[in-house]
Amino acid sequence: MSKLLEAKGLTKSFGRLLAVKNLSFHVEEGESLGLIGPNGSGKTTFFNLIMGSLKQDSGEVFFREKEISKLPIHERVKKGIARTYQIPRPFAEMTVSENIHISTIQDKILESMRRRADSEVEGKIAESVGLKERISMYPHELSMGDLRRLELAKVLATERKIALLDEIFAGLTVAEIAQISELIRRKRDEGLTFIIVSHDLRALAPLVDRVVVICFGELIAEGPYQEIVNDEKVRQAYLGH
Amino acid sequence: MSWDILSGYTGYVSFGHPALIGVAGYTTAMLTYHLGMPLYASIPLAVLAALGVGMLFFFPALRLRGNYFCLLTLAWLIVIHCLVIAIRPDLTGGTRGLPNLPYVVTGAVPNFYLSFGIVFLVAVGLRYLAKSDIGAVLNAIRLDEDAVSASGLSTLRFKLLAFTLSAVTAGIGGAFYVHYMGAIAPEGVFSVTFLLTIIIAALVGGQNSIIGPMIGAYFLTFLLESLRVYIAGTPRFLLYSAVALALYVWKVRGFYGIIEDMANWHRKRRKAEEHV
Repeated sequence: MSKLLEAKGLTKSFGRLLAVKNLSFHVEEGESLGLIGPNGSGKTTFFNLIMGSLKQDSGEVFFREKEISKLPIHERVKKGIARTYQIPRPFAEMTVSENIHISTIQDKILESMRRRADSEVEGKIAESVGLKERISMYPHELSMGDLRRLELAKVLATERKIALLDEIFAGLTVAEIAQISELIRRKRDEGLTFIIVSHDLRALAPLVDRVVVICFGELIAEGPYQEIVNDEKVRQAYLGH
Repeated sequence: MSWDILSGYTGYVSFGHPALIGVAGYTTAMLTYHLGMPLYASIPLAVLAALGVGMLFFFPALRLRGNYFCLLTLAWLIVIHCLVIAIRPDLTGGTRGLPNLPYVVTGAVPNFYLSFGIVFLVAVGLRYLAKSDIGAVLNAIRLDEDAVSASGLSTLRFKLLAFTLSAVTAGIGGAFYVHYMGAIAPEGVFSVTFLLTIIIAALVGGQNSIIGPMIGAYFLTFLLESLRVYIAGTPRFLLYSAVALALYVWKVRGFYGIIEDMANWHRKRRKAEEHV
């Protein structure tokens, strides 16, 4: 397998707070990587650095061994990286179908001039995440589980190579977690690469090939899930003893 | 419609539209007044001037968001107003402006049909784009610009397109307006009253629809002119503002919202009849 996404020495500080400190790791094509750490350890900041929402103080990001650190967000997405947000960010005045449709639009003015013909593509994507019945609903009519499904649908609609999922299980019921896990597993089997941030380690365990643990912005452990949960430094970071 | 395609759709509220209209108006006015250029040449050049000056002044502002964008566009309006008065008054006519400009057509009725024809063509073009994916992206920018970028779309590219369409529309309006009036003066085109008229027309008609601002503009113009018979002088503006405000409070989506409601009601009734 080849390296799909790689972070080399990423550092980001906000004033005196060092949020990410010299962080380096990579994810291989088709791999599913778990990114865990206590609250405030820098996981979302790391996602923002990868996507270009934040500018790093130092370090580089590589996609398929080409540097993308200086590219704006939309160019990184076009290279093949898509993300979900910890707090879902649907377009409030648009239906589920319209929300998904935005992610299918090409970044070309002339092609965007066409009128929408039908919603077949959106329907298929909505069906794949279990939102078929709610395709005409607005975000305020959806549950948290459905909003997370919609986030996932938007990522799938971009047809990218790697999906960064930020706290995809937060606020979900056990049944909803099972449904979304099944969807991730299916997409992983189809070849989509994942980096999944989650506090729910039990939900994360069956989905990931490898886990990276960060604490206070620093990488403290890396390896298979079973090794990681028994790691002394990880237990210290999570449990304080 | 010019204001709507930029501000109504993307949420980038512009206070600088009179500047775009004014630049186009002054360009065609100066070309015809000083050089005797025919209208078929001066009007397209005026539209290009509105686009060019707009790019120069407004393009940097498109990198700002929210109130900062509003304030910067207002600042550009004031700057252009001052420049027109102060720089080369021998060309612009200074505070007095330029009189005796040629007309495209003469008489109220021919002018009405001309303006209606232009407005109709512009409305059809803009409405087509607003109903395409371009309109969807512009709307999404208003709702969450970062989420649009995260969908792989260059928000700057789409905002620039919206601005180009807006500037061209404003330029067409400004150029024809000057040759309808037969004169141009800085107080007429760069004033806050003119700015508010543009925004009120868009809000009363129903922003984010293209058609709405057109309806709003006709409504306000007819209202203002019909009040002239009964109320002399500026007090009619008070009544005009009250009517506009009441309408906006009653229906935030303006006249377009009322039309939409009626269409939905009709659609539901037809469905119910089909079931029966």
